[in-house]
Amino acid sequence: MVLANTNRTHSFSDKTCPVDFNDHQFIALHSGALFWPGENTLLVADLHLEKMSSFARTGQLLPPYDTGATLALLRDDIKTSGAVRVICLGDSFHRDEGVLSLLDADLELLKELVSAVEWIWLKGNHDPSPHDIGGKCVDQIAIDDLALVHEPSVAGHNQIAGHLHPGARIRINGRTSKGPCFIYDKRLMILPAYGKSTGNLSILSNAYDGLFDKKTMNVIMIGKEKLYPVATKFLF
Amino acid sequence: MSQLPPQINNWFTDRNWKLREHQSDVLKAYNTGHSTLLVAPTGSGKTLAGFLPTLVELANAPHKGLHTLYISPLKALAVDVARNLLDPISEMALDIKVETRTGDTPASKRQRQRYDPPQILLTTPEQLALLISHPDAARLFGSLRRIVLDELHALVSSKRGELLSLGLARLAILAPDMNICALSATIGQPDLLLEWIARPLYPKPAKLISMQGGSAAVLSILASKNRVPWAGHSASYASQDLYQIIKDHRTSLLFVNTRSQAENLFKELWDINEENLAIALHHGSLDVAQRRRIESAMVQGKLKAIVCTSTLDLGIDWGDVDLVMQIGAPKGSSRMLQRIGRSNHRLDTPSKAILVPSNRFEVLECEAALRAVEEGVQDSEPPMDGSMDVLAQHVLGMACAGEFDAVELHNEIIKAWPYKDLSWQQFERVVDFVSSGGYALRAYERYAKLRLTAEKKWRIANQKIAQQYRLNSGTIIEEPMVQVRLVKGGGEVSSAVGKTGAKTQKIPRGGRALGKMEEYFFNQLLPGDTFLFGGEILAFHSMGESEAYVVRSFSQNPKVPAYMGGKFPLSTYLAQRVRALLADHKNWHKLPDQVSKWLELQREFSQLPGRDNLLVETFPRADKSYLVCYPFEGRLAHQSLGMLLTRRLERMGARPLGFVASEYALAIWGLGDLSEMINSKRISLDELFSSEMLGDDLEEWLAESSLMRRTFRNCAMISGLIERRHPGKEKTGRQITMSSDLIYDVLYTHEPDHILIEATRREVARGLLDIKRLGQCLKRVKNRIVHKSLSRISPLAVPVMLEIGKEPIFGEGRESAMAEAADELIREASAS
Repeated sequence: MVLANTNRTHSFSDKTCPVDFNDHQFIALHSGALFWPGENTLLVADLHLEKMSSFARTGQLLPPYDTGATLALLRDDIKTSGAVRVICLGDSFHRDEGVLSLLDADLELLKELVSAVEWIWLKGNHDPSPHDIGGKCVDQIAIDDLALVHEPSVAGHNQIAGHLHPGARIRINGRTSKGPCFIYDKRLMILPAYGKSTGNLSILSNAYDGLFDKKTMNVIMIGKEKLYPVATKFLF
Repeated sequence: MSQLPPQINNWFTDRNWKLREHQSDVLKAYNTGHSTLLVAPTGSGKTLAGFLPTLVELANAPHKGLHTLYISPLKALAVDVARNLLDPISEMALDIKVETRTGDTPASKRQRQRYDPPQILLTTPEQLALLISHPDAARLFGSLRRIVLDELHALVSSKRGELLSLGLARLAILAPDMNICALSATIGQPDLLLEWIARPLYPKPAKLISMQGGSAAVLSILASKNRVPWAGHSASYASQDLYQIIKDHRTSLLFVNTRSQAENLFKELWDINEENLAIALHHGSLDVAQRRRIESAMVQGKLKAIVCTSTLDLGIDWGDVDLVMQIGAPKGSSRMLQRIGRSNHRLDTPSKAILVPSNRFEVLECEAALRAVEEGVQDSEPPMDGSMDVLAQHVLGMACAGEFDAVELHNEIIKAWPYKDLSWQQFERVVDFVSSGGYALRAYERYAKLRLTAEKKWRIANQKIAQQYRLNSGTIIEEPMVQVRLVKGGGEVSSAVGKTGAKTQKIPRGGRALGKMEEYFFNQLLPGDTFLFGGEILAFHSMGESEAYVVRSFSQNPKVPAYMGGKFPLSTYLAQRVRALLADHKNWHKLPDQVSKWLELQREFSQLPGRDNLLVETFPRADKSYLVCYPFEGRLAHQSLGMLLTRRLERMGARPLGFVASEYALAIWGLGDLSEMINSKRISLDELFSSEMLGDDLEEWLAESSLMRRTFRNCAMISGLIERRHPGKEKTGRQITMSSDLIYDVLYTHEPDHILIEATRREVARGLLDIKRLGQCLKRVKNRIVHKSLSRISPLAVPVMLEIGKEPIFGEGRESAMAEAADELIREASAS
C-alpha cells in the first residue's frame, strides 16, 4: 500500500488497513501495531515480554521463545514502516522483573532496537516501575491532540490505549470466526495486544462497558493473512 | 473343595454352591506362583475368582500390612466391588479389613491408609501413581502379595493403562514377592494381554485361564414395519416398536453411541409414554447426583428402562436387566458382547439383546455384528505403545519418591509393556524435559525441577515440586467444561441481546445445576438458541465465569441439533464383514426387503463395492460435481481422507468446495467436472488415492489444524508442562485452553521437533485421524480403484449425501465468516 499523503518510505504489503481517527490518518498493521505516518511513529500495546518465562517460578517451564518472537516482529514492523519513533502503550513486560530475566540474545536485540529509534515506554499495570534498559519511561504522553495511555477511561477523549487485549467473535449463517481486533469510535481507540504470548478478551464483555458507542464503533479483525474491517452487527 | 479353608468351604456348601472350574484354576495358579489372566464372560463369578486366593491366604494365616491391591478403571466399580466383597467376608467371619481409595476419599483417610493400610485396598491407576510417588512407598508395598486388575481390557488401550503399566513396573521392584491376577471380559488378543501383565514380573511364570461363555446370547435385529431411513442416527422410526418392547420386558437397557442420541431417544420415548413407564436417562454429562439417583433406582428395580451411553459399559452390577437393546450401529463385536453381558447377570440363562439400526447402512452393520457375535469374534483394541507425556509424569513422580539413577530407572521402565521399546536416547530426552523443559534454547537451568546430585543421581529441586506433582497427576484431561445452570428466564430470551453488543443484565444465580457440557458448544450459541439437554429443551441465556445459564424453553424442537460426545469408529473387523456382505449378493435375502431392494438398485445403476477394491463414483448434481467413495473405514479415517483429497484436488485444478464423511463413505464436491477430468486422465485416481498423501500433505494440514492444539493441551497437562491446579488456586479450564493454544503456537513455530510436539503429532495421527487405518486402507486398494462415471446420484450414495447439512462440512476457509462480514460492511458503506 502506498500512501498519497506522505513522502516517507513504507514498504507495507497489502496486509494493512487505513484508519481515520479524530482527523488523523493511521495504518493498522497485520501484526497489531498502529502506524502513524504523520508522526512517523509506530504504536504498539501490551507486548508482555517475558510472560512465558515468568511461569518458571511456579514450576511450569513454558517455551522461552515468546520474547524473541515478539521482538523480531517489532523489528520487522519498524523496518517496513520506516518509523523513527516507537511508543509502547504499557504492559511491555509481563512483570517488572522481566527486564532482568531477558535471555542474552533477546536483550541484545532489544538494546539494538531502542538505540536505533526514539523509544518511549508507557507504564502499565503489569510493569509500573521505570527501568533503564534504554528509551524513556513515562506515565503517559500526548502527541498533537491525542492522549496515549495504557488503560482507557470512560471519561477521556481522543485516547489511544491498550490494556484490554480486544478480541471479536462474529457469526454469519452459522459460521463463526474469532480473533484479536482493533476497535475505535470517535473518542477512543484500543489496540490489540501485540505480544506473541497474549490472548484476547471479547469486546462484548463487561470490561468494555461504557467505553464505546455501539452504533458508531469500528472493528478491524486480524485474520491469518489479512485484516478485516467487519460489520459490527455480526458480533456475538 | 479340599483346597479351601473351612470358613470358606462352609460358606460355599451353606449356599449349595460349588467352586467353579476357573475359580479353582486361579487358586491353583496362585499356589504355584503364577500370575494369571482370567478371561471370562460377565456374570461368571470373575471378581470372586480374583479375590479367592487372597481370602484363602488370609483365612489360613494372619498378614500384617497391605496384602492385595485391587485396581479398577472406574471409581464406581471399586466402590461396588467393596460392597460385594464385604458381604462374603463378614458371612465367612474372616478378619479382613477392606477399604477403597479414590479421589473422593477424604484426605485424612488417605493419609492414614499410607501408614496403617487395610489388607485389601481397592483403588484406581491414578491413586496407585500417587501412592508410589511417596518416599514411604517401599514400606507400604513391601508386604504386598497380590494385585488384582479388573476389566483390564478397558484400561490397556488408553493412557490410563500406560500409567498403570509404569506403576506395576515399580511395584515389581517394591514388592518382589507379589504376583498379578488380571480379569478381563472380552478381548481380541489374550496372548498380548498376558504378556502385558507378565512382563514386569519376568521371569516369573504367568498363565492364561479362559472360560468359554455360558449360554449363547439370543440376539436379533429389530424388524420394524416402518421404513428404515436412508441416513441419520435417530431411531425415531422405531420408537413405537421400542416402547412396546420395553413394556414386554422387566427391565431394559437401551445403549446408544452418543450423548445426543441418548437425549433424542429419551425425549422420543417420553413423547409417547402414555403409561408413564419409569424410563430414565444416563450419560456422562449429567450431574453426578442425578446419575447416582438413577443408578440406585436401577439397583432397586424401580426402573422399567434406562437410555444410556458407554458410561454403563463396564461391569457394575445392575440387578435385574432382562433385555439389552443397541440403538444405532454396534461399531464392534467386542463392544457388543460387552453390552449384551449387561443383561441377565447369570450364566445359566442366555442374555437377550436386540439390535436397532438407525439407517440402512447400519442394517448391514448390525447384520455383520450379529454374525460376528454369534461366532464370538473379538475385535477389541490391542494395548497401546506408551506415550511420552505419561512417561514424563511418571518420571517426575519417581523423583518425588526418591532420588533415582537414570540407568536403573530406564531398566525399570522398559519392563512396562507399553515402553518395552523405549530407547535410552528417548528416555534421556524425557528426563531433560522433566528437568528443564527440554528446549534447544537452554533457558531454565536455574529453575530446573530435577537436579543431578554429586553421585550422579536425579532428585527433585525442592519439596514444592512434589506437592505440585500430587495435585496435577493423572491422565484424564477433560475438555473444558462449563456447568449448565437453569435460571428463571422470565419468558423467552431475546436473541437480539448478543447482537447489539455488551448488554449487561443481572444474571439470576442459584438455579439448579443440570450437568456439564463442553465450553466450545456454547461458544457457537446466540442467546435464545435452543438445544436438548437432560431430556429438556433449553434456551441459552448467557455465559458466566464458568457457567452457562439456560432457561426452560417452550419450543417444540431444539434449534441447535447436537453436541458431540464419544463416537466410536466402526471396527476394522466389522468393516471387512460389511464389505463382504455387500459383495456377496447371494446373502442379501437375509436382509430386510427394503435394504436388499436398495442394493439391487445400486447393482443395476452402478455397482457394489467389492471386498478389497475401492468404488469411486462421480456424478453431476445442481451445477456441482460430486465424488463419492466407499472405504468403510469409519468417520475419523474418512475425515482425514477428505481433508487430504481436497488438498490434492485443489492442486489438480478440480476446485473442490467441501466434503462430508460418514462411517461408510466420503463425498467431495467441487466446481470442476470430476467425471470428465478422470475420464480424460487429467486426474489419475491411482495417483489421487496414493498413500503419498500421508507425507507432506498430512504435515501441512496438521500445521493448521485445531486438532493439534486441542491434543497439545492434553499432552502439556499430562506431562506437567502446564498445571491443572496450583496449590491454593484452582485454574479453570477456560484459562488453560487459551494459554495452551498460545504455548502451542510459540513452540510449534520455534521448536517443531520438541518432544511434546512429537507426542502431540503422534497422538493426533493415532487417535483423532486414524492415520494408521487410512494408511492400511490406501495400501489395500492400491491399483484396485474402480471408477463409475454416472449421470446422477447412485442409490448407495444417497445416505452420505443426506449427511450434508447434518454433519459439519469441511473445506470452507476458517475466515470465511470474517471475510463475509467485511464484504457486508462495504455493501453498507456503498448503499448509504
